[in-house]
Amino acid sequence: MAIILGAGIIVKLVLLLLLSFSVVSWAIILFKFFQVQRANSESERFMDFFWKSKRFDAIAAQVDRFANSPLTVLFNEGYSELKKVVEPDSKSDGSALSTDLGGVENVSRALRRATNSEITRLEKYLTFLATTGSTSPFIGLFGTVWGIMTAFEGIGKTGSASLAVVAPGIAEALIATAIGLVAAIPAVMAYNHFQHKIRVLINEMDSFSTEFLNIVQRNIAGK
Amino acid sequence: MSHPTAARIDTGAGVCFVASAVIHLAVFLLLVWWGRLLPPQIAFQETYYVDIVNLPTADPQAGTPAQKTENSDPAPPPLVPQAMTLPVPVKMSPKITVKPSKPAVPQEAAETESAFADRMEKLKRNREARREEADFEKSLGKVKGASSSKAGMPGASGVSAGSSYADFIKSRLEDALKVTSSYSSKSPEVFVRLTITAEGKLARMKIERSSGDAIFEMAVRRAVDLASEKFVAPPNRTVFENGFVFKPKGIASGSSRK
Repeated sequence: MAIILGAGIIVKLVLLLLLSFSVVSWAIILFKFFQVQRANSESERFMDFFWKSKRFDAIAAQVDRFANSPLTVLFNEGYSELKKVVEPDSKSDGSALSTDLGGVENVSRALRRATNSEITRLEKYLTFLATTGSTSPFIGLFGTVWGIMTAFEGIGKTGSASLAVVAPGIAEALIATAIGLVAAIPAVMAYNHFQHKIRVLINEMDSFSTEFLNIVQRNIAGK
Repeated sequence: MSHPTAARIDTGAGVCFVASAVIHLAVFLLLVWWGRLLPPQIAFQETYYVDIVNLPTADPQAGTPAQKTENSDPAPPPLVPQAMTLPVPVKMSPKITVKPSKPAVPQEAAETESAFADRMEKLKRNREARREEADFEKSLGKVKGASSSKAGMPGASGVSAGSSYADFIKSRLEDALKVTSSYSSKSPEVFVRLTITAEGKLARMKIERSSGDAIFEMAVRRAVDLASEKFVAPPNRTVFENGFVFKPKGIASGSSRK
């Protein structure tokens, strides 16, 4: 406690900055943890439900139950695009477009767009974790270097180099590096963890898009 | 187009932020509590003053015969002869002394190998004993010399291997100078005259002569300041005044006048 209060103004500022980094990064860690957890579990349940049901409109009616899964976004986007393609438009007369492969292309594009927006949503705020992980040790180091500089200045003024004079200043300075590491280590670990989790979710989204397109194509071709 | 995001139950970012802040606060309080529970144990080492030649200086009154009765001080530390220099020359010398005698001996076959070793051992021991004795004499002489010249408190009647008040002050100054010592020229020297009141307070400090090294002068001033906290009242409650020559290697007592 005294070690922090006794530090110089720059070291204190550095400590405050690092503390805010730590608080924000932990907030992001919690936020992402719940988000990814829910996305995973609801995706699993949605896939079960998806394979069990026979009709898209039945799924569309129930899709709100799995709202936290990115797959439902994909499904909704794909389904609404499919409806636009398949249902006879009031302005154009025939069903010429519907059986065309161009309709599948449209659905594919809609799915790709939805996938991208979901990836963006999942990766949101993760950059802050990466930034914290890579910069906060340096910020802490800056505080330490500054603290040691002032400590040496003090030694120069008093003229004595005994351990009793040198040690407290250096201890004060080193706490900045310690706090920097304390902020950085969880951020880096969480960043890597979430990167992995999100990659898994992206793979799931890709395979779901492929399945969806397969089913659409099969049905359109079968018509 | 019904977007499912409306039904999403994302934990609010605000909630997470508050939770994170609470976690940090909890960790901080835990650390503080832990610190209270186990306060850092900083051991302050008490300084002992053991001057081998000028015996106990921790309390200048202790060594003087005048106050002998009222002050039962711990016994002075054992006198350590300044030895430890013996092994090398002692080992070398027998070889040198024995060698020339060898050519004379060969006819006397009576002396066996073991007897020879025995004799060597005896010689060595004798030599060591003599040397130790000499060292002891030397250090004893030093003590006697010191006590006869200026040992004992000013005004004390007897002669004892004790401390003069000047030596006590010198010891304190030396100790303080060890902490503050810093200098820029090669061999700085500062002559300082100190006046100490009857209560043991530093009354005046005057630099009478200096080699011109400002940094060393500053160190000396600080040393005097530092040491003055540990001064005690001079014996017989008289004002004490003495000159001290400060050098990086140590302090010499200068001319003293009372």
